[in-house]
Amino acid sequence: MSDSAGRTPAVGVEGARQRLALAQTALLSALVASTPVPGGFDPARIRVQTVALAAKRADIVAKVAPELPVILGADYRPAFVRYARSRPLPGGYRRDALAFVASLLDDQGGPAQPPGRREELASWWAERSGPAPLRAARASRVLRRLNPRTTLRATRGRAGRTPA
Amino acid sequence: MQHLGVGIGWRPEIDTVVEGLDGVEWVEVVAENICPDHLPDSVRRLRERGTTVVPHGVSLGLGGAERPDPVRLAALAERARALGAPLVTEHIAFVRAGGPLTGTPALEAGHLLPVPHTRDALDVLCENVMIAQDALPVPLALENIAALLRWPDEELSEGEFLAELVERTGVGLLVDVANLHTNHVNRGTDPASTLDRLPLEAIVYVHVAGGVERDGVWHDTHAHPVSEPVLEVLAGLCSRLCPPGVLLERDDDFPPGTELAAELDAVRGTLTGTRREVRHV
Repeated sequence: MSDSAGRTPAVGVEGARQRLALAQTALLSALVASTPVPGGFDPARIRVQTVALAAKRADIVAKVAPELPVILGADYRPAFVRYARSRPLPGGYRRDALAFVASLLDDQGGPAQPPGRREELASWWAERSGPAPLRAARASRVLRRLNPRTTLRATRGRAGRTPA
Repeated sequence: MQHLGVGIGWRPEIDTVVEGLDGVEWVEVVAENICPDHLPDSVRRLRERGTTVVPHGVSLGLGGAERPDPVRLAALAERARALGAPLVTEHIAFVRAGGPLTGTPALEAGHLLPVPHTRDALDVLCENVMIAQDALPVPLALENIAALLRWPDEELSEGEFLAELVERTGVGLLVDVANLHTNHVNRGTDPASTLDRLPLEAIVYVHVAGGVERDGVWHDTHAHPVSEPVLEVLAGLCSRLCPPGVLLERDDDFPPGTELAAELDAVRGTLTGTRREVRHV
């Protein structure tokens, strides 16, 4: 039976939708939320795909929050992949960047941070977690690190808030 | 099928490079990165020159279990109109899961993931494609994706799955030869056997892109030059039926325009059967 465009609509697709939903959710959950690998999949390939998804996320977060690879240096990528392994994308990459930094600030048992980095991350988080845009003083500091000759006339920012 | 010729993926990072390349007959833009009310100047200039622009969507997830989101479909339709595009393209993939059908939180993949080649997945995909076709002002074509993993208990080969999809929905095919090569390395799917099964007349154009092999896994990076094995798959396709269009995709580690021009020349040489071995970079 064809429709007016000569196509063949499927019958009884609701059951197929439900079964497919459960199968795809089990796989995606294993890939982005560290739930057990569903039966029949090659666990080694699941690991490769998990890392590939986290690496792509790290690339995009580095584009929307270019200060983070500057603050974290060579630690940026491994730290992000560690964060992303069990934390699904929280609805947008800016929120992802905030959640990543909050996780670093919360992570008491994680790798030791070099002196001053924690404060830099806390300041970065505080300046972006509210509705107001980046304060000029902070923008200036970050830009100077990216390019030491850059100067930006700036006023001091408001007091930061602490991560929730 | 409309002739498109040889084109390249327009990206903001190489906008003027793309404009300056000789013999680029058309471009593709990532639909989600284009604002229909404020087209980038470079895209506008290309349009004024008569260059065809095709919006290529990445977020519909037509291979997902849910019906396609009407808001995303309307956005894609709006871009097709704003660009005067002769067609739009998307992927055979799922990009999100969870939600109401499963009673679990919604999850985003942030990337294209393979659908199982099963009867269930095909029935759902066909219905989703028909919903999308009804919402779009121009024909839709779908791309085979690159996969790192394979589903257990598949009931159809990739070729059979694509052939039945086309037969039931009339959707066009965007064949990514780099993805066929990827699936060859990663899943053991022979590109020739997939091509043998495909309804070749449904192909609207072909994607070509570079990648890299690491530890026996092919990563379809779009950040490396197009390599010989990918052009061989293109040559294999051309020996069956020359596609109406071929598009070079480059998304990162952008080389100078001269290198992109050389890659486009290699593609043209493959289409006309006059290509010499490409140098290995």
